[in-house]
Order: sequence, then C-alpha cells, then structure tokens
Amino acid sequence: MDEVVAEYIRRTVLKIPRDEMLTVLQKWGFLSETQLQTINFRQTKESISQGVVQLCEENSADIKQAAVLDIIYNNIYPNKRVWSVYQMNKTEEETDFFDFTDFKKKFKRRLQSALKNVTINFREYEDNAIWIRIAWGTPYTKPNQYKTSYVVYHSQTPYVFISASVLKSNLPLLCQALVVASNYHDIREMELRSHCLNSLKDIVFKRYSQNFQTYYPRQEKNVATENVDLRIIQENKNEKERIQRVNREVFGDGPQPKLEFAQYKLETMFKSDPKMDVLEKKEPFRCLVKFSSPHLLESLKSLAPAGMADAPLSPLLTCIPQKARNYFKIRERKGFLPGSFVSP
Amino acid sequence: GKMEEGKAYSQDGVLGHLEMLEAQARELALKQEEMEQQEEKLAGLKARVQELRAQRDELRAKVELQQKQLLEKGVVKDPAQPSAQTVLEWKIKSIKAMLQIFYLTGISGKLTKRGVCFCISTAYEGTYLGSYYLDILTKPEVRIQRHSVPIFIPLEQIAKKYLQTDIRRFLSVLSDHLNAYAGRRYQADQFEEHFSDRIEGTLQRNSLCNLLVFNYNVSSNRKTFLFNVKLLYGDLCCSLPTEATISCTPSAPASLAEMAAAHSEVFRHTALHKAFDSLSNAKETQD
Repeated sequence: MDEVVAEYIRRTVLKIPRDEMLTVLQKWGFLSETQLQTINFRQTKESISQGVVQLCEENSADIKQAAVLDIIYNNIYPNKRVWSVYQMNKTEEETDFFDFTDFKKKFKRRLQSALKNVTINFREYEDNAIWIRIAWGTPYTKPNQYKTSYVVYHSQTPYVFISASVLKSNLPLLCQALVVASNYHDIREMELRSHCLNSLKDIVFKRYSQNFQTYYPRQEKNVATENVDLRIIQENKNEKERIQRVNREVFGDGPQPKLEFAQYKLETMFKSDPKMDVLEKKEPFRCLVKFSSPHLLESLKSLAPAGMADAPLSPLLTCIPQKARNYFKIRERKGFLPGSFVSP
Repeated sequence: GKMEEGKAYSQDGVLGHLEMLEAQARELALKQEEMEQQEEKLAGLKARVQELRAQRDELRAKVELQQKQLLEKGVVKDPAQPSAQTVLEWKIKSIKAMLQIFYLTGISGKLTKRGVCFCISTAYEGTYLGSYYLDILTKPEVRIQRHSVPIFIPLEQIAKKYLQTDIRRFLSVLSDHLNAYAGRRYQADQFEEHFSDRIEGTLQRNSLCNLLVFNYNVSSNRKTFLFNVKLLYGDLCCSLPTEATISCTPSAPASLAEMAAAHSEVFRHTALHKAFDSLSNAKETQD
C-alpha cells in the first residue's frame, strides 16, 4: 500500500472522535466486521489509527478508498468547514432527467481536460445529495490529498454547496465542470455562507418553517402553560402577546436555520445635525456592521420577547432566510426608491 | 236628484249627462274591481296563513316526537329552543367539516391581508402525502411572495405561463406536478423498503424521481442473468414511466429479449412498488 495513502488514512482516522470511530469505519465498509472486531477501541487514538492502517494494508487500500473515508468523515462532520452557496442558471425549460452516471462522466472529463492532476471521488447519499471530493495538484505535481475541495449537489436543483480549499484559483475550473455536468449555463456565488451545511440547504430549499396562514390542518399550538400564580398580574400582557404574535408571523414556529453571522456593508451618508457640521464632504460613510452569534437567527428571534428590541425587528435582519443571504451592501436611498437599496 | 238636474239642462246637456253617467259607471266598476281584488288577496293570504299554520303544527309535532324519543334515551331535558352555545358549536362543527372537505380536495386557500395563501395537498392512491404552501399577493399584480414548493419543481416556469392570466389553471398544473412527484417518490420509497432484497445493488434515483435505475436477476433455463432497468418519467405530471428500457448483457440468449419486453410492459403500466408482484405473475405464466 502506498505510503501516502497509509499516512492519509491514519490522519483521517485521527480526526474522528474516539467514541465515533467504530461507527464511521462501519459506514466506510472497507474493513469487514471481523477485522473491526480485532481493534481495541479503548486504546489511545494513535494506537487505534495505527491498527486501522495495518488492516487497510491487509486489504490493499488505495487512494480511492482513502478518499471515500474522507468524504464520509466530512459528511458526518460537515460543520467543521465553511460552506458557500452557488447558484446556477439555465434558459432551457426542458425537463431534466438527471443521470448520475452521466453527471460523473461529464464532470470528470471537463475537470481533467483542464487539469490532469486531480483526484476526483463521488458518493451518493439517500437524500439525493451528491458529494464530490477533489484533491488538487498542479500541471506539474501530483494531487495533494491534503488540499481538497468538497462539493455537495442535489440533482435537478440550481444550488451547489462548495467548501473550497485554500487554492481559490481552482474555483473557476470547478465551477465550469459543475455547470457542464449538470446541464446549466452559468454559475455565480451567492452572498450566503455558514458552517452549518444543513441550514444552508434549509434556506435555499425552503425547508425551514415559514408561517403560512391556513385554515386546515390546524396544528393546535400548545400554549405554554406557565405556572399561573394568580397573585401576579401581567401589566404588559397585551404588549407581550403582540410581540409573540409578530414574532411568530416573522419567524414561524419551528427552529431557525443556523447561521453564525450577518454582515452589512454600509455605504450611506452620515446624517447628523447640520449645525454640528460633521463630515462636510458629503461622501458616503463607509462602515461594516457584523452580527455574530452561535445561532444568529434564534437570537434575533428572542430579542423582542426578551425586551431587548422592539417588535417587529428591522426587515434587514428578518429577511435573511427569505432573501437567502447574510452578506448585504446598503447604499443610499435615491429619491424615489423605497427604502435603502440593497444590492444583489 | 240627478234626473231633475238633467232635465234642467236637457236641451244642451243630454250628451253631457250621458257622459257623466258613463263616468260614474266607470268609477263604480273600478271600485268594484278593486274590492274584488282585495277580497281575492285576502282570501289568498288567509289560505297561506292556513298553510303555514299547518306546517307549524307539523313541525311542532315532529319536535315533540323527537324530544319524546330523546327523553326516552335519557339525553336532554327540554329545551324547546337550543341555546346559543349549542348553535354556535354546531356551526363551528359544520364549518370545520367543510374546511376538511376543501382540504381533502387538494387545493384550499385563505384570504390574507395582501392576497391569498394557498395550500396544495398531495396524495397517492389513498395515502395522504405532504402539503405545500404559496403566499400570493394580488396587488399591484399577482405574484408569489413566498412558498414551500421544493426547488426542483419547475414553479417559475408554471407561474410564467399561467399565474397572471389564469390562476386556477396555475394551481391545477402545479397541483398535478406536485401530486405526480409525491406519487413517484412514494413508489420509489415503498420499492426501496419492500424490494431491496430483490434487486442487485441499490435503486438509483434523482430529486424529481423521474429517472430510476436498478438491476435485478432473472432466471432462464436454470441460468441467472442480470437485467438493468431504466425508468424514465417523461411527463412530470404523471406517476407512471413513459419509457422503461431493459438491457441485458450481450452474451444473453435471444429468448431473454422476449422476457425483457414483457417486463418492460409491466413497468410501463404498473406502479413501481407493485411491479415486482406482477413480474412474478408474468413469470409463472411463462414457465
């Protein structure tokens, strides 16, 4: 077995939390159950990974199996990477019969014709997600298995999720190959980024809970039965209920997609008292506002009920899932344009 | 009297007198007609009153009978009139039933502040599958504000064609797409759940479930051969394939071509999760 492959497998196994190692290796399916049983998973991680490498040696693992293990690892722990969302466009309106074999062939052919030294691996998952792992080389060097990009694509959708590596220069190549393989015309990067891949999918696939008004079926909302102490009178009961109602209309009932930040680049004029004479030049005051949070949308949702902000919140904050973006550029309102101009 | 008056003017006014008499007669006739009409009306109304009284008596008798029956069943004590509460409850119950009917027909809607919110429910052969929503604004023009339709359904295309001109057609076409998709997916899921052991490898599908590929074994003359099936659902509003291509290894005997054709027919006309049962039947008749 190749030394590079052995080392790569060893390092990949080391990344897995010890409690999960057996499960991940089982998912990989390259080592048999009997082989896995010979490993003592109570040892140190280093010893376990050495054991795994030895077994892989017995089975003559090659780079393909190592790559599959890497895909499985990233599929189970996708939140360790930052994912960007790309949107593809096409003009034909013909029904697309997405054929996975065809897709793989076209993608490989396009990418390898531009850059021969790449390792490309695919894995299909039950939710129609196709994972692509690309290890990049250069025209003169073999692919570096540690310089990888990952692509997640759901067939017959215009959205692609890419976790690029350091080599941003390979991105155009990657995008081209994707467009060709999926029968689209062009591709552009959206202003939507996060660690949480599933939440990005929820946003663009509209899988998050939107509050639609319907008569039926009526989910009887379980009103939180607080311990009602009759001696306590809520003075602001009406206001509280109004805030709850507005919040529910805006955010819906279910959990919010998980984003870590929202960034607003302001190119607006500073508005001050004319007498104060600040910024005479009348140039836009450039300013960057960034909201960070372990779970941005949930925290925005709880602002008004916690009394920290007025309800309804600014639409600039609440439009994030609907507009599918968390990077904004805000320019000056120009005369008859309603509201600030948010650039696409 | 009048005759004396008439005599006084007899020379100039005989005709005039006659006119006067005519007018009087006419008046009297009119009055009589009026009276007759009134009497007719009155008689009619009296008859109507009788009718209504009879109806009322009938209904009263019915109510008494039912109350007697209820009393015998020991349910309710009196009331001659149901309380406002029970009337309200009955109204709510019947409206709920009506809304459920609308929901079960597959397309229902509710007016919102700025337009309508539609709910399209999908079902396949008696099993209710998911619901999808569209918030549609009606001013200044008809457009979709937001929705929960899956991204791979060609919603934009359908909206471009029909939304502005014929919203009913828009909803109907969209409902066809969604129902067919739900049906195809249901068939594929059921097929995977119940027939995984009958196929070699896994079922290959895509988001729209309009191209399904799988392999299964067939036996002929005590030898087994692998059939590769490619089901193409060309009509997105249909949950049966438009093409079922079965291919075999080149070394397979010619007799297998007949079997492949027969199986292909089965796949074209039978729901996927029921197809394998039909295949076994077809096989039995062959052997």
